[in-house]
Amino acid sequence: MGKTILKVDNLKTKYITRYNEDVYAVNDVSLEVEEGKSLGIAGESGCGKSTLALSLMGYYFAPLHYVSGDIVIDGKNISSLEPDAVRQSVLGQEIAYIPQSAMNALNPTRKIINFIEDVVLAHEPNSDKKEIRQLAETRFELLGLPKSVLDHYPVELSGGMKQRTVIAISVFLSPKILIADEPSSALDVSSQKMVIKMLLDLMDRGLVKAMIFITHELPLLYNVTDDIMVMYAGQIVEKGTARQTVFDPLHPYSKGLMGSIIVPEAGVRNSKLSSIPGVPPNLKHPPQGCQFAERCKYVVEECKTHEISMRPAEGDRAYRCIFGEDVLRKAYNNG
Amino acid sequence: MRNTLKSIFKDGKFRLGFGILVFLLLMIFLYPLFVPNPPLEIIGRGTFFPPGVYVSNLDSVSGAPIYSLTLADAEAKRLASKLSLEDRAEMKTYLLAVGVPEEQINIEDTAALLALWAEKYDPKLNVKGMIFAKLQYYRRLNDKLVSLLDSEGLILARETDGVLEKTGQVLPLDYVNIGEVSSVRVLPLGTDNFGRDVLTELVKATGVSLQIGLIAGSIATAIGLVLGLISGYVGGWLDDLIMFFTNLLIVIPSLIILILISYSISQSERGPTTIAIVIGLTSWVWTTKAVRAQVISLRNRDHVNLSKLSGHSTASIILRDILPYIASYVVMAFILQISSAILAEASLSILGLGPKTTLVPTLGLMMNWAMIYQAHILGKWWAYFPVIVVIALITFSMNLINTSLDQIFNPALRE
Amino acid sequence: MKGYWKYFRKKLLWLLITTIFAFVLNFLLPTLMPGDPVAGIVSRLAQGMSTSTGVKEIYENYAEQFGINKPIIEQFFIYVRNVFRGEFGVSFTQYPRPVSDIIKSAVTWTIALQLPAIIVGWILGNTLGAVAAYRKGPFDKALLPLSILISNFPAFGMAVILLVIFAVRLRWFPTSGGYGFDMIPTLSWGFVASVLHHYVLPFLSIVLITIGGQAIGMRSMAIYELNADYVKYSRFMGIKDNQIVKYVFRNAMLPQLTGLALSIGTMVGGSIVAETIFSYPGLGTTILSAIKGQDYPLVSAVTLIITIMVLIVNFLVEVFYGFVDPRIRATQAE
Repeated sequence: MGKTILKVDNLKTKYITRYNEDVYAVNDVSLEVEEGKSLGIAGESGCGKSTLALSLMGYYFAPLHYVSGDIVIDGKNISSLEPDAVRQSVLGQEIAYIPQSAMNALNPTRKIINFIEDVVLAHEPNSDKKEIRQLAETRFELLGLPKSVLDHYPVELSGGMKQRTVIAISVFLSPKILIADEPSSALDVSSQKMVIKMLLDLMDRGLVKAMIFITHELPLLYNVTDDIMVMYAGQIVEKGTARQTVFDPLHPYSKGLMGSIIVPEAGVRNSKLSSIPGVPPNLKHPPQGCQFAERCKYVVEECKTHEISMRPAEGDRAYRCIFGEDVLRKAYNNG
Repeated sequence: MRNTLKSIFKDGKFRLGFGILVFLLLMIFLYPLFVPNPPLEIIGRGTFFPPGVYVSNLDSVSGAPIYSLTLADAEAKRLASKLSLEDRAEMKTYLLAVGVPEEQINIEDTAALLALWAEKYDPKLNVKGMIFAKLQYYRRLNDKLVSLLDSEGLILARETDGVLEKTGQVLPLDYVNIGEVSSVRVLPLGTDNFGRDVLTELVKATGVSLQIGLIAGSIATAIGLVLGLISGYVGGWLDDLIMFFTNLLIVIPSLIILILISYSISQSERGPTTIAIVIGLTSWVWTTKAVRAQVISLRNRDHVNLSKLSGHSTASIILRDILPYIASYVVMAFILQISSAILAEASLSILGLGPKTTLVPTLGLMMNWAMIYQAHILGKWWAYFPVIVVIALITFSMNLINTSLDQIFNPALRE
Repeated sequence: MKGYWKYFRKKLLWLLITTIFAFVLNFLLPTLMPGDPVAGIVSRLAQGMSTSTGVKEIYENYAEQFGINKPIIEQFFIYVRNVFRGEFGVSFTQYPRPVSDIIKSAVTWTIALQLPAIIVGWILGNTLGAVAAYRKGPFDKALLPLSILISNFPAFGMAVILLVIFAVRLRWFPTSGGYGFDMIPTLSWGFVASVLHHYVLPFLSIVLITIGGQAIGMRSMAIYELNADYVKYSRFMGIKDNQIVKYVFRNAMLPQLTGLALSIGTMVGGSIVAETIFSYPGLGTTILSAIKGQDYPLVSAVTLIITIMVLIVNFLVEVFYGFVDPRIRATQAE
């Protein structure tokens, strides 16, 4: 067992809409990432996985608001800190973020080096610009990026180069944990590969200690991460190792999700392609009981009335369903 | 669709704008039912009669039943209205000259001033340093004041063969009921420089200006829509050509083109419709640009590609797969066109290039007349201020509607 | 820098094309309309002249100058040549003053009035709009409808209202003119003071109108920028809010410059009309009296000058914009 880098307990955050309605997009999420490990979070679009990424940063701005729960990074609880303390000493240094699309992630009218200066100065106001430049040059070279990038404006870079620049900036202050929200989905195949390679490289070089990887592309998760969590309607519905979750899903939603993709593994390729009928529930008025009940093939009356909590399963994994794992496996085998 | 309409009507800005517009429209349609007078009828012999209720003097003296009312302040009011500010100031000068301390003189208080005057004025006194003409003036002023004070009313007489025969008398206590005077005309906004009823004229002008806006807006939107669709959907050299002219016309001030065209059309042919058409023909550029941008973003959407693959004709794709998606933008552009056309007409008219017609007024023409006759310098606010207010209300309401539609159709602008 | 020069050359070419187009429009529109402008000119000039030989002489004189008997293409080149020599003919209303002379003084007044007013209005409007977008809340709620009201207020209406309140009622400022009617334009203190005194109201009315429109544009731009991805990313990198606000305002402000370039024509149009309300000795009042007096050479010259002024300002703004916004250079370099 490695050292725990990130531990999240019962995190709950909400959006407040302009009509003053509360939408709980992250509901009671707990997770743990150990040193040297990577965690993948999967789910349909709108399941709250991007919001979870934002919520994990511990720094909230409208319309997203913190409700309850703890975020502990390397033993330090950041949920109890003042927002400005989080900004000053946590963001970028302890935990860093790679946005969904790098296309617009950088201020178009600021040169890369100036932005890096802004980042460093925001944390250490007395830094010397010359030193920052030197550091940036070394770091960019280390990550295989040309130093000339530093003197360009973001608009002058290609898509893949921009994404790699964003990653280099994100880890510039050597954060302990990196959260990547669909870092490659907007790129072409070869750029995607380079970006993924770069992310894995970061872990190998020890620039980051752990990583959370969010995507809707399951094959990617399976190939890149150690553990996978499946999210549905703001809740975690299943967590386990990548292999367990992909090849032996327990929750009916995970089962449907895995069934709807082709995983390039011999055994799975033959299984039937299926997609899950229906749409996720409206989080403004979440249903009572199981969130997935409306779409579940195996639903029983109790699902709609009982609050369902996570239950442990064999092999150090957990899932959120009223049925035991044997019952589920049997049902899946029968089709 | 229904939900969209609902959320549109929920929006405060939209409701305000829509409310103002409906009010103006009701005005245009209902007012003529109650006041059927021709809008350009010249009723006043003179310029700029102030707003108020005009009562026939003859009818109130000879036609209406007389009532006697004893009102305590009637005399003071009568005196006050006859004693001009200049007279009061002159009285003060005299009183100061004969040695009355300044703090005792209050020219606002008519009764006190008259009492003081009666006490201090001496026609025989030669005030030191006062010229003869001035003394004569005070003598006349005193005579006027005396006649004011012991007024026994007026005697009405009829002249027959050079002899006056008394037929009646108007006493200070005589009153008539305004409802019983046979000829009364309410002029809520007075008359203009030609002696025409401003309110009636204004209502008509609002209608005509809106019509100008509607015609010009329709023309501009139609041209802009067609060119934008061609430019955006067909593309190629047609796009280049259309965009070339659009960009040219964007940088050249449209008012200048309007001036050139209007100046070149002979005066007699420059009716409101002609002006509307000219405005419409010169203001389509922004619509073209907006429509084109929208069409380009739609051109490669899945549903359009599907229709293309299914072999639908270009016309049918534009009609069924493109137009419905840009309808909201076109409506917004149309609203803006109407309001800017109304402003353009007003600007042209102020420069003397508006519709040259004596048959109908427009808001711009009313403004032009008021400016030529210096209503603003002379303090005749009723001739120009209501016009500005109406123009501002029209453009304000339309832009308010537009902004609120924009916020509903462009969620990024919310919050 | 390579991208920039490409951009600059493109804009310069565009300035040339638009200028040619302006010439064509200015020449063609009156020519195409029914009626012979020279005949109109002569009928004006000949008023009070009894001998038909005199009228004929004038007609021939003008026909010569405008080349009225020659083919239309040649007429156009004669027109362009005349303009470049500064020969716009002789004004009828201020006969025998040459049109170029009248215009020269009016242009100075108009530029001195409108350029500072539009710049000040632009800066104030953008600041207000940006603050509204950032602060949101009641400030924004009040500012937006107010800006819509003011920006759609006709420029002449604003001028009239300011005039009535501050000149007619309060008598703080004079009602008309560019300087005291009893003054002779010299560089004396008295004259400068009088000019400034007359300057305030026309200046204010243009500034106010400009503020409203710019504030609305800036507000939408800034809201759009505030929601941009880079704002979120910068926040998560721990950058301070006031630094981010600086990013946003700069990025929103730059496109507003293009907005300024595009709307300068409309603004000048509105301001020209506002000038007439104050009888300001600029181009607006000149064109008003020229229209009233059927002074064709003067109308034609003023419209051309206004258009060319607008085109040049538009060009300068675009050139400046390309210089300060890297986004432009990048798109050109591709």
